[in-house]
Amino acid sequence: MQRSIAGNVVLATCLMFLFVIVILPFYWIFSSSIKIPQEIISLTPTLVPQSFTWQHYGKLLNSSDFLLYLWNSLQVALGTMVITVVLSASAAYGLYRLKLPGRNLVFQIILITYAFPGILLLIPLYGMMSRMGLIDTIPALIIINVTFAAPFAVWMMRAFFSTIPVEIEDAAALDGANRLQILLRILFPLAAPGVASIAIFAFIMSWTEYMFASVLIISDERRTLPVGLAGIIGQYQVDWGLLLAGSALTAFPVIILFALVGRNFVRGLTAGAMK
Amino acid sequence: MKRLPVFVLLIALLALVVPATAQDDPVEVTLWHMEQPPHRVERIQELIDEFNAANPDVVVSQEVQSWGDIYQKAPAAVAAGNAPEILFAIPDFTPILKEVGGLQSMETFIEEIDAEYDFVDTAVEPYSYDGGVWAVPMYNMAHSLWYRESVFEEAGIEVPTTWSEWLAAAEALTTEDRYGIGIPANRQLYTDQTVYNLMINSGADEIYNEDGTLRFNNPDTIAAFEFYNELSQFSPPDSPNWTWGEAEACFASGGCAMIMQFTVITTYDTQAEGIAEDLGIAPIPVMDGMESAGTIAYSNGAMVMTDDEAKIEASERFLAFLLEPENYGRFLNMEPGLFLPVTAAGSEAESFWGDPLVVKYQSQVEQMVANSQSGRLFGFTNGNTFPSIASISAQNLLAQTLQLVVIDGESAEDAVAEGQALMEEAIE
Amino acid sequence: MQQAKDLPANPPQTRRPTFSASNLYGYLFVLPILLWLGATILYPLVSAVMLSFQDVGIIGTGGEFVGLENYADVLTSDRFWEAGGRSLVWVFGNAIVQTLLAFITALALKQVFPGQKIARTWIILSWIVPTVVVVVIWRWLLNASGGIINYALVGLGFIESEIGFFSSGNSAVTSVILINSWRWFPFLAVIILAGLQSISDDLYDAAAVDGASTVQQFWHITLPGLQPVLFVLGLVGTLLSFNVFDIIWLLTGGGPSSATTTLPVYIYETAFRKHSLSEAAAMSVVVSLFLLAFAVVFIRYAAPRLEED
Repeated sequence: MQRSIAGNVVLATCLMFLFVIVILPFYWIFSSSIKIPQEIISLTPTLVPQSFTWQHYGKLLNSSDFLLYLWNSLQVALGTMVITVVLSASAAYGLYRLKLPGRNLVFQIILITYAFPGILLLIPLYGMMSRMGLIDTIPALIIINVTFAAPFAVWMMRAFFSTIPVEIEDAAALDGANRLQILLRILFPLAAPGVASIAIFAFIMSWTEYMFASVLIISDERRTLPVGLAGIIGQYQVDWGLLLAGSALTAFPVIILFALVGRNFVRGLTAGAMK
Repeated sequence: MKRLPVFVLLIALLALVVPATAQDDPVEVTLWHMEQPPHRVERIQELIDEFNAANPDVVVSQEVQSWGDIYQKAPAAVAAGNAPEILFAIPDFTPILKEVGGLQSMETFIEEIDAEYDFVDTAVEPYSYDGGVWAVPMYNMAHSLWYRESVFEEAGIEVPTTWSEWLAAAEALTTEDRYGIGIPANRQLYTDQTVYNLMINSGADEIYNEDGTLRFNNPDTIAAFEFYNELSQFSPPDSPNWTWGEAEACFASGGCAMIMQFTVITTYDTQAEGIAEDLGIAPIPVMDGMESAGTIAYSNGAMVMTDDEAKIEASERFLAFLLEPENYGRFLNMEPGLFLPVTAAGSEAESFWGDPLVVKYQSQVEQMVANSQSGRLFGFTNGNTFPSIASISAQNLLAQTLQLVVIDGESAEDAVAEGQALMEEAIE
Repeated sequence: MQQAKDLPANPPQTRRPTFSASNLYGYLFVLPILLWLGATILYPLVSAVMLSFQDVGIIGTGGEFVGLENYADVLTSDRFWEAGGRSLVWVFGNAIVQTLLAFITALALKQVFPGQKIARTWIILSWIVPTVVVVVIWRWLLNASGGIINYALVGLGFIESEIGFFSSGNSAVTSVILINSWRWFPFLAVIILAGLQSISDDLYDAAAVDGASTVQQFWHITLPGLQPVLFVLGLVGTLLSFNVFDIIWLLTGGGPSSATTTLPVYIYETAFRKHSLSEAAAMSVVVSLFLLAFAVVFIRYAAPRLEED
């Protein structure tokens, strides 16, 4: 489709606007994090750093268990990811592939999970986790993160199962494969882009979660990155250098991850939606 | 990450060296505190490591918590049975945990320490009520007015001692790229503190009558709120949303000429000029016509939250270790100049005055100690302790009342009346 | 839309032979997630309801049965309804800003241009970083002493001197809504983009031949085609954004002077600052009932009908 010149101008303006609001703030955080303290708190901000230092990163890594937080966050996110994929993919398969009667009602019930404020669940969940001996453990966070990631993932997944021709399945059934085999050997590989999307979705939901992690985790050794970073924010002193370095380091792993698999997230979503 | 190996090594070593004690499991003591800055955590860890090495039958470990969520976390932990053995607290916080249960009265222990190192009485008082002493005082914190000598010299004015001088100074020091003063107005503990500083110095330090009814709504309180509002016009536009850290950063950058704060020494030394002679400290100015200046001061204490005899004994041993003059100074100097001694022995300890930063800023630290002598805390004044103050401070009602004036533009009279109504509702 | 076209292609009789057997079998696939949600939502929900009929104060202390007293208190409290009003402003504000930004973004990214693939991947950047980082970023950008936004606004002459974005009620509400929207709009945009891709180009081509303008095409082809997507985003997005707590709490703590105290913030304060746990539980239950009512109404009137068998 050919665009008019006006169309090009509008498009370029939109893209420029998006670049400024989405990307520039990250540049600003990173460039500030490598300035010396005096330049950071200077009243005249400098777009290009006039000084250069890794001291904030050094201080961060030396004086806090940042790498440990990173490892914890990874464990929580990977655990959440695996369970969410299994639960959501199988539920989506059940609901949309097998065309169960009343599936829309079931699906709506699943979505209504989001009607309950996290605050409401927090206190009873604390008691429940405590009785199960899960307070201050990684599984506690995985359990609750799956709850908030899975329902939406079911919906994201639904498109994929409706794009795969039923005939493939029927053919396999004729060959004597059972439902599980069909699901694992035939449908999963075909739905791989969708699985990638919900895997990334679950990973990110878990990676960014703060409220439950701040309450259900007690010891420093099991804190996730957001909680560890909030700890550095503190209240008594604002060490902007440390804070900015912490933010940059917290953002960095997901940026790397996204650089590697980000294409799949968007492509997976859009691929599924195409007829 | 960094601490773990030391621990493992230590336990492994102990298992080799003292097989006899290694057979009995060592008593585990967990300490929760809210001193989040990394260098404070590090200092506490050093002391813990030393204690653990000297006491093979005890293993102390620390978990750093945040003031932001400790109010929900600690009671929940007690209820669920995974509370720490020791929790550092301020007087406002103790009544809440006492109500949840599990607090030990530390009376006997405190008497023992008192006999040896002589506790400052005003530090023990806020924890003494209902027939017990519910926390061991560990350190004192008090507000002062911080400024730069050179800034006052340049403007050709004296350091203020009265409110009229203070307001004039704030105005005179406000320039193109500097605000005369930085004071907060959000619903936070820091605002409670700065507001109460003014209340003390207008004669409104008593929030309660002797009989426990409220006397917050009085002309002295109103005067304090009015003056706070006047001062805040010389404060930066984002200061209403500040906590301690932003105020300190504003002072360090030179954007604020004066702030009220516990200490600015570390920040000033590492992030600003770090010229000891230029860093000024004064008592909070008094309302014109008032006699003596006062300031808000907190006696921070350690609560012991276990019924287990062995754990109580181990916890007491650890606290006694921290209060030993040789260690006490190093403990206080986890943030040089912020934490002031609560024992007579501690205030003379070489370990306190020997810290390089304390040596460099000795006159400032001496002034802080002097200011802290006239320290007071709302709800715990003049020997009367009203545990119901916990409900008032947990909701930051002093700060909330201030917001009615500074943010919503109500008159101080209306706001203070409304504030008293809120307080009555809170403590009923 | 496409379902309607698909249906004839999948005549029910091809599935008939295994229909009843596969039904039972099918529910087995759905069962795990239902059990999971039941355990993590239903159980706490029941505990919360029980709590709301008692007079528990501090978490961990006991309480006695007081019947509907907490509900009476909550429903007659001005502060509860004020917080409710703020929540409505919050939800609508977010919905408007996010929908607008997300549509612009999705429509822009649907176009073909150099670097389109990179743009589609990295547009999502603000959604993949933790809330805490979002908070640090914006506090840093909006800082009044040396913050880049204030500096730029003063430099460009839009304002005379630095402003405190969180210092007055209206600007705090606006700032927090914009920041939350900044975090979420890219995700919405990508989902909408996926929806856009599913609309056949033929429809547009046919419309263009009939002389329909771009605006007409948007209303008659794009929006109806997006209905299944918009339905779910409308439902989940509204519920999720209503319940947002951490970003508000970390940015403003509900201030200044309660201006950003939405219902979740108010519930949190009641539970953990005022130490009235049971009252907070009653509020949560009331809020949940409202949200459920909203969800039922929304589903009833906005659910895409073509999807049901």
